[in-house]
Amino acid sequence: MSTQEITPTRSVLLETKKKIKLSQSGYKIMKMKRDGLIIEFFEIMEKAKEMRDRVVADYLNAMEKIHIASAVEGAIAVKSAAYALKGDPQVCLSCKSIMGMTVPKVDAECGCTPILDRGYGVISTSAYIEEAAKAFEKLLETMVLAAEVETTMKRLLDEIEKTKRRVNAPEFKVIPELQEAEAFIEFRLEEMERENTIRLKHLKRKAEAAQ
Amino acid sequence: MFGQKKGNYAYTVARVKARKSLRLGDDVYTKMLLMDLPEISRMLGETVYQKEMAELAGRIEGVDLIEHATYRNMARSFRSILEMSTGQLRDMIAANLTRWDYWNLKVILRAKTFGADVESIKEDLVPAGKESAEFRNMLVSLDTVGDILDAFSKAEGVTFPASIVESFKSDGRLTALEDFLDKTYYQRLLDSIDPSSKPTRLFKDFIKMEIDIINVETILKLKMENVPGDAIMPFIIEGGKQLDNRLASQLANADSLEAMSSDLKRLDFYEDIAEVLKADSGSLRSLVSSLEKYKIRKARTFSHLYPLSIVPILDYMINKQVEVDNIRVIARGKVSGLDNNTIKELLVI
Repeated sequence: MSTQEITPTRSVLLETKKKIKLSQSGYKIMKMKRDGLIIEFFEIMEKAKEMRDRVVADYLNAMEKIHIASAVEGAIAVKSAAYALKGDPQVCLSCKSIMGMTVPKVDAECGCTPILDRGYGVISTSAYIEEAAKAFEKLLETMVLAAEVETTMKRLLDEIEKTKRRVNAPEFKVIPELQEAEAFIEFRLEEMERENTIRLKHLKRKAEAAQ
Repeated sequence: MFGQKKGNYAYTVARVKARKSLRLGDDVYTKMLLMDLPEISRMLGETVYQKEMAELAGRIEGVDLIEHATYRNMARSFRSILEMSTGQLRDMIAANLTRWDYWNLKVILRAKTFGADVESIKEDLVPAGKESAEFRNMLVSLDTVGDILDAFSKAEGVTFPASIVESFKSDGRLTALEDFLDKTYYQRLLDSIDPSSKPTRLFKDFIKMEIDIINVETILKLKMENVPGDAIMPFIIEGGKQLDNRLASQLANADSLEAMSSDLKRLDFYEDIAEVLKADSGSLRSLVSSLEKYKIRKARTFSHLYPLSIVPILDYMINKQVEVDNIRVIARGKVSGLDNNTIKELLVI
């Protein structure tokens, strides 16, 4: 804000002081939010790291099991068992709030399908295929949970970035400009006060000389 | 069930023995473990699998070529044994080979309910059963599961209970249908064996032992899933050698693995699985592998006892399938990057 645009009056000064107070309290709140989000982010990051490790471990386990099942039973038998599977994994999406920010909450309803509900015969389907199916169900569940944590982490990062801009704007631009305006108005008002006093003294002197 | 004629045992056994000499020895598997996939393919191309490898090489490649070629070779081998045999012998071989017809039916049903295309279903069938290629193609070309079941029912004389068909229609799950097929196969196979001679009694005993093994695997599989004992019993195949309904019920209702172990001790193959049961790894892989090895060992022990009977033919067929399985285990294991020790554990030698 250029000083030329400021009207140096008492009411503007009062208004500017009010704005400074409001900006400072807003700045404090945003700073607290930013710090809170950063703490939350580090917690989520730890969780995300753990989830990524779990996804990798479950993936390797599932792949090993499917490779063993394909080797022992043959790819045809594995493919055929996969054809028989019934039901798609269900994912239930809802929302939760972290410091006013909406993040997704994902619940995997895929779980572990009981052997009797898989869709293929119990007697002839080998334990190798059964183990592979279970391992992949576990992987799917872990991946859904990992997706929740990863999305939350990305949303948190975006929110931290936004909040950082909201903190920086008052800290480095709004508040200093308002303070500068306040100082300018105060200086102008003092200056006008002094001019007024001198004018009054001058008038008094003139009146005394006339008497 | 059987024709009046006893069958050409001498001729069939002689031909089977000649084929037996073409089987890969156990040392070949050790060599194959040191090869990579192209080397394994090339080596198989120089063995009894040469014809099938050359036939399929234009359409399939890599490990799938090995799997399909070995299956096709096994199927041809089994079909030719069936075609060269006559009389009672042929009936018994046909009854044993029906397992592949049932297997193919299950593959077709699963693929049809999924919506797979006709050509890919045909590719996945193993033509080792007693039914002709025309019959299999006809089944694949049918549109609905109901039509497929009707056609199979007519050809094989299997009557599918209405409750099972209704259950499939209501939830689209093949579980009950497949389990019914497995039970029917063993029931019909047992019924088809005339136990009047020692070799056929041995054959029957072997099938009964196979039923015991399948039942133990089923019980353990379902127990691991915490399925209650009462719900396990409908999956038990009747006609086992040692595992009757009473023992099966005891095993199914056992509270722990220790409790099961004491009941399992009554079975011939307990010694072979005792170590695995003690280890309690939470996986049935080792147990299944031990039981498979036991089955092969058993088949080998009685294969030399009656040279002019079904026994050497059965032994050849079992070992041929084991050979095909072992080749696939090595090839797929190598491609998947499984280490040699894991592949060795999976081999049935």
